[in-house]
Amino acid sequence: MAKVAREMVERAGIDVDKLVELLIKNAAAELTTYYYYTILRANLVGLEGETIKEIAEVARIEDRNHFEALVPRIYELGGKLPDDMKEFHDVSACPPAKLPENPDAKSILKVLVEAERCAVRGYTQICNMTAGKDHRTYDLALAILNEEIEHESWFSEFLGEGPSGHFMRRGETSPFVSKFLK
Amino acid sequence: MHAFTLSELEKYDGKNGRRAYIGYKGRVYDVTDSFLWKNGVHQALHQAGKDLTREIKNAPHGEEFLKKFPIVGYLLDDKH
Repeated sequence: MAKVAREMVERAGIDVDKLVELLIKNAAAELTTYYYYTILRANLVGLEGETIKEIAEVARIEDRNHFEALVPRIYELGGKLPDDMKEFHDVSACPPAKLPENPDAKSILKVLVEAERCAVRGYTQICNMTAGKDHRTYDLALAILNEEIEHESWFSEFLGEGPSGHFMRRGETSPFVSKFLK
Repeated sequence: MHAFTLSELEKYDGKNGRRAYIGYKGRVYDVTDSFLWKNGVHQALHQAGKDLTREIKNAPHGEEFLKKFPIVGYLLDDKH
């Protein structure tokens, strides 16, 4: 634990135990999403499915990066990941992004966009809690939020919800979060 | 439909197998079966068994999320 780092956050008026719990829940959401997206990606086949597969893969890899980036902050603030993987799954901040029955490209896209929207809400909440109080967690949550918003935009466009102004990655992943992974 | 006082609502906190009910704008919703309300706690910040009308104003979602949950009663105000 980074003793003074935690103390500074406490002194700023944040309930650190609740914040850590929230970070663990979002880390669980990222890792479980990485797992479920693996299954969704595998089922994105055919002319429509293959069109979406590339961005589903980028979102999958970036969600794993988000998990990796969150873990150090959890421990810095005195928290820890649950010892039991099943428990970790069940505390996720988002419902499981399970493969729909009779999956086709559109039904899978709906699962993907809902998962990203859940993440956008979650990191907005953390940003709201930490803004001006816990600079490091805020910086991390904002970086992740930037990527989650792009993920939502990609899938939303394929669902015909209108243009987002966002573009696919060009060979890189996690342009916002990568600074936390070095 | 059942009328809940706030003290009665507190019994439905989702702990130890109890059902998880929340109050919102005079209605009582059953959120027991929600993945996001396990053990009566939502996102580490909100507890079942309470009137959450004020708390939802600060949540990153609106009241539309409550529509999928069954209404099990209505909430009496404090003077009852």
